[in-house]
Amino acid sequence: MKPVVMTENLGKVYNPGSIPVTALRNATITIDRGEFTTIVGPSGSGKTTLLNLLGGLDRPTSGSVCINGIDIATLKDPELIDFRLWNIGFVFQHYNLIPVFTARENVAFIMLLQHRNKQQIRERADQLLDEVGLSHRRDVRPAQLSGGEQQRVAVARALATEPKFIIADEPTANLDTAAAMNLLDIMERMNREKQITFVFSTHDQRVIERARRVITLVDGAIVTDRQHAS
Amino acid sequence: MPIDFILAWRNIWRNRRRTLITVGGVLFAVVLSIFSQSLNRGSHEIMLDNMIRFGTGYLQLQDEAYRDEPSLDNSFTWEAATARRVAAAHPRTGQLLPRIETFMLAAGDQATRGSLVVGIDADAEQRFNGLTDRISAGRFFTPDKPEVVVGQGLARRLQLTTGDTLALIGQGRFGMSASGLFEIVGIIKHPLREQDDQIVYLPIDVARQLLSAEGQITTLLVAPERASETEAIATALRRTFKDDGIRVLTWPELMPELLNLLRLDMAGSYLLSGILYIVIGFGFYATVLTMTLERLREFGTLISLGMKRTRLIRVIFLETLSISLIGVAAGLTLAWLVLFYFRLYPIRLRGDLAATVIDMGWEPILPVSFAANIFFSQGVIVFVLALVISLYPLLKIIRLDILTAARS
Repeated sequence: MKPVVMTENLGKVYNPGSIPVTALRNATITIDRGEFTTIVGPSGSGKTTLLNLLGGLDRPTSGSVCINGIDIATLKDPELIDFRLWNIGFVFQHYNLIPVFTARENVAFIMLLQHRNKQQIRERADQLLDEVGLSHRRDVRPAQLSGGEQQRVAVARALATEPKFIIADEPTANLDTAAAMNLLDIMERMNREKQITFVFSTHDQRVIERARRVITLVDGAIVTDRQHAS
Repeated sequence: MPIDFILAWRNIWRNRRRTLITVGGVLFAVVLSIFSQSLNRGSHEIMLDNMIRFGTGYLQLQDEAYRDEPSLDNSFTWEAATARRVAAAHPRTGQLLPRIETFMLAAGDQATRGSLVVGIDADAEQRFNGLTDRISAGRFFTPDKPEVVVGQGLARRLQLTTGDTLALIGQGRFGMSASGLFEIVGIIKHPLREQDDQIVYLPIDVARQLLSAEGQITTLLVAPERASETEAIATALRRTFKDDGIRVLTWPELMPELLNLLRLDMAGSYLLSGILYIVIGFGFYATVLTMTLERLREFGTLISLGMKRTRLIRVIFLETLSISLIGVAAGLTLAWLVLFYFRLYPIRLRGDLAATVIDMGWEPILPVSFAANIFFSQGVIVFVLALVISLYPLLKIIRLDILTAARS
């Protein structure tokens, strides 16, 4: 089976014209389906840069990123947007829900972008909100949800498109312990039951302890990549 | 309802006060612009209507030399066959008003003045412009009798009234001398002031006889069933009479100076509207600018999640358009109500201005126009404004770097 994510000598240099800053160098990783991987490292170590490159939000200056065998660095902007829609789910640190939509509409909206059947969208949005424990809050807008609830809606939204994998950039950074643990429980359950691949960055030791694979970055380079006993 | 529209609609109400202020600005511009144009157009419409009804008609047939040299020598023969050809040229040609006119000296016991002598078919004129209803003293003439109706201004100048005799002296067709004595049976208050001071109406056959122009007319006015068909009828008539030495002229061709004057007058209104829209445009732009800048991160998120830039642009355009349309719709409604009010209760003129207007035969009011294109043009202008203003977010979204947006 093809790996979900495969990078080879991946590198990113910012401001290559003036004073170059190397954010990532020679990162070679392979992530298979169903992995629950965290990327750790101190601030400025290149975690977010790596996630951005894996998610097709940024383009590498060297090396390649293949998602399900497709080198996404070669895709043009509209193709890349489409690729992200169908293949990658995102969970952001600041949730980034659409403030004028309810929880259900936030989850449904991304499926509408995929032009799915309306009945199917409605059923799936309700089912996902149920799975993240928010069926009772589905008609509420983000401003009326707590941070933990918003992040759970964001997870439901990320799952909605049935992506190949989900990228989460510091998903628990703005959550209290209970909400963070609850979110991790949900992500773990999705990973275990549905074999959904998660790749997330974190500083949070509680999260690191729950990951099954931990990739450590220092100064833009991978220094360790180890399986973690969870 | 399409999700893009729902998203756009909810977005515009995210900041209710800001949206209402912007809508209010558009509404204000639309109302003020329509109102000023409507007042101008209202006066123009009355002026043109009078000029058309009592002067040129919607279109005229003349001998091809008459325009350059308006003389009886350049009249043309008017007979039943010609009338049939005119009527056959277009299914809705409407009424025909033959006229024969020339300048003559009009004399009473006390004074002599230059006058415009017009031989008319009184029944046809009455049907077209209600001429006989404008009699202020006496009655209208009887066809075939040597009776005349004179303008109030001319009668005053000549110190004549009904029952007096008017002498007309001048030149008829082909240099024949023309003179005659006529009984003044009526005084008319002519709506065109210039004509009121010099007009003498007499039966067309009597005029022809006086001017040695039996069977001739100088102009044939055509009053189409629908004024909007004037140009089409003119085209048909030009085709019909192309080999007859007869020229067909529409009212804009007959009064180019007046039209230019009215256009110049309208330019003031357009300028005011233009300034209004520039001011409103900047206000609108400020709203769109703020709406765009405070949502860059959201735009970045939407594109990250898989929303195409073109679709996002469509949503933002729908937002701008919705605000514009709400403003325009509210503005049009309010403007219509305001105009309707002023149609029912017109602004009345006072003092010298009122006296001047009454003197010209009009009501001393500021009339308003309900011409559809005044309303329509505002919609178009605001739509174009929305399009132009949408360019900013459009360019911003096209160039948006999603990582920079995420950090904003």
